[in-house]
Amino acid sequence: MRRDVQAIVLILVGGAILRITIGDTYLNYVKEVMKPWLLLSGGALVVLGVLALIDSLRKGRAADDEETPHDGPHEHAGAQGHDGAHEDDDGHGHGHGGPRAAWLLLLPVLAIFLIAPPALGAYAAARDVANSAPPQAAKAPPLPPGDPAQVTVAEYVGRAVWDDGLTLEGRTVEMTGFVTPDPEGGWWITRMAVACCAADAIASKVKVLNTPDLPADTWVTMTGRWVPGGGTKNDTAIPLIEVIDLVEVPQPKNPYE
Amino acid sequence: MTAPSEQRQGYRPGSLEILAVGLVVLIVGQRWLVGLFDDPALQTGATIFVSIVVQALPFLVLGVVLSGAIAAFVPASFWKKALPKNPVLAVPVAGAAGAVLPGCECASVPVANGLMSRGVAPAAALAFLLSAPAINPIVLASTFVAFPGEPMMVVARFIASLATAVIMGWLWLRFGKAKWLRIGPRDHLVGANPWHTFRLTATHDFLHAGGFLVIGGLFAAALNVLVPQQWLSAVADQPILSVLVLAGLAVLLSICSEADAFVAASLTEFSLTAKLAFLVVGPMVDLKLISLQAGTFSTKFATRFAPTTFVLAVIFSLLVGWWLLT
Repeated sequence: MRRDVQAIVLILVGGAILRITIGDTYLNYVKEVMKPWLLLSGGALVVLGVLALIDSLRKGRAADDEETPHDGPHEHAGAQGHDGAHEDDDGHGHGHGGPRAAWLLLLPVLAIFLIAPPALGAYAAARDVANSAPPQAAKAPPLPPGDPAQVTVAEYVGRAVWDDGLTLEGRTVEMTGFVTPDPEGGWWITRMAVACCAADAIASKVKVLNTPDLPADTWVTMTGRWVPGGGTKNDTAIPLIEVIDLVEVPQPKNPYE
Repeated sequence: MTAPSEQRQGYRPGSLEILAVGLVVLIVGQRWLVGLFDDPALQTGATIFVSIVVQALPFLVLGVVLSGAIAAFVPASFWKKALPKNPVLAVPVAGAAGAVLPGCECASVPVANGLMSRGVAPAAALAFLLSAPAINPIVLASTFVAFPGEPMMVVARFIASLATAVIMGWLWLRFGKAKWLRIGPRDHLVGANPWHTFRLTATHDFLHAGGFLVIGGLFAAALNVLVPQQWLSAVADQPILSVLVLAGLAVLLSICSEADAFVAASLTEFSLTAKLAFLVVGPMVDLKLISLQAGTFSTKFATRFAPTTFVLAVIFSLLVGWWLLT
């Protein structure tokens, strides 16, 4: 890979990182704490790329002056160089111009601009066999005050499945999540929980009773009441909720819990 | 190994034109092209791929900036003075030195090569080669970030990696042969002044390691979307098999050590010991490293060094995992 192309790859990668970070799209992929680091590293790549581009433009002009008589044959040799077979290889996978693996760095740039990958949704949630991660504490503390009490979907699953719903009994809860169709009919209110980045996301699902079907990936905020059923003490159990009120909402800024 | 002059290499049309045409096509056809990727499986895979790359990138940038700074601003003579004369002692010292000198494994092969050409005992340089990418502060920090609530993972990774590196250094002292090593220069990354060397090294290492990070991200995304979770669960439930499978996967994926913890963490089905094997083997033995080592030192070296390291790394992962992670 030529030095000037390397420079452009650096600028493209850095630019793509800056673009998703400034536009809040990065929250679809990583946690909010990464923001300053993404800005710094994206900026560093753009700076390195711009400096390398200036280098190679300067060198190009100097070489022009020296090598004008030889331009013809060099142009010719280069015309066959596209397939890579003619690239000089120093034995560790790249010529002195730079590593060939660097072309692959264009893939995330393409993915960001072309596919614009959305936050993980119903497709990923349906693939998850396990429901949520078992809670750390053996016994859940009482629900926070408020009517309805705000809970996350993962918290609801933890309380319902691993604590027999004791702390949910008689309370009205409110949670926000997206629709994942249940293959056996009806749907689950779902939210993905992310430990580090979207690659390790785990889905939490709660079966929603007595409501009409909604299209997959519709975001809703609902209030409801816990009803027994769905199984307990089992990481594939899906607890139930009875709907009191349900509204469609836009996707939250941070789609993960 | 004889390359044409820089000007000639820099003067071939080709990659720049391809890139330019490609970008124009993308910009003109973006609206139409986006429609092609409107498939939930592809989009889910793309999300996982992009998230691994985006999460790992700041760590990678930090790593190449620091390794560039070491290459540019630390004089060669420093290493000879810093290490004990006796190679038996120099091995653990060099291994432990890996803990303070950041650099991912793509950088460590050339650095070890440079150390040997500056008179450091090969056994010590090899211990450093194995330990530096596995136990440096950036890698340990990224491991800590990738495994929230599992701080022992960081400790286990440190102990198992350092033990493997030091034992490999000693094995080399006892059984290694100098003729297996071909020590070459890295002079195409030396610039007009230290600042320029820094930029050249950082850029080169980023492009190289970044390319392999992309391969790792693609594999992880494919594994996530294409392989049914039931299969993964079935393998993950076998304690020994799951360790061997993830150790083998680390060899195939060739992910940069600054990024591998995030890929390991995404393999949610597997036990911590299996993930530990992935993290200990990955920075020491993988396809990209084997090809780097063969290219830098010789094929004879790589075919002996890599399999031995693999076996030791798996053994230490099992021992340390059993000790600290269960």
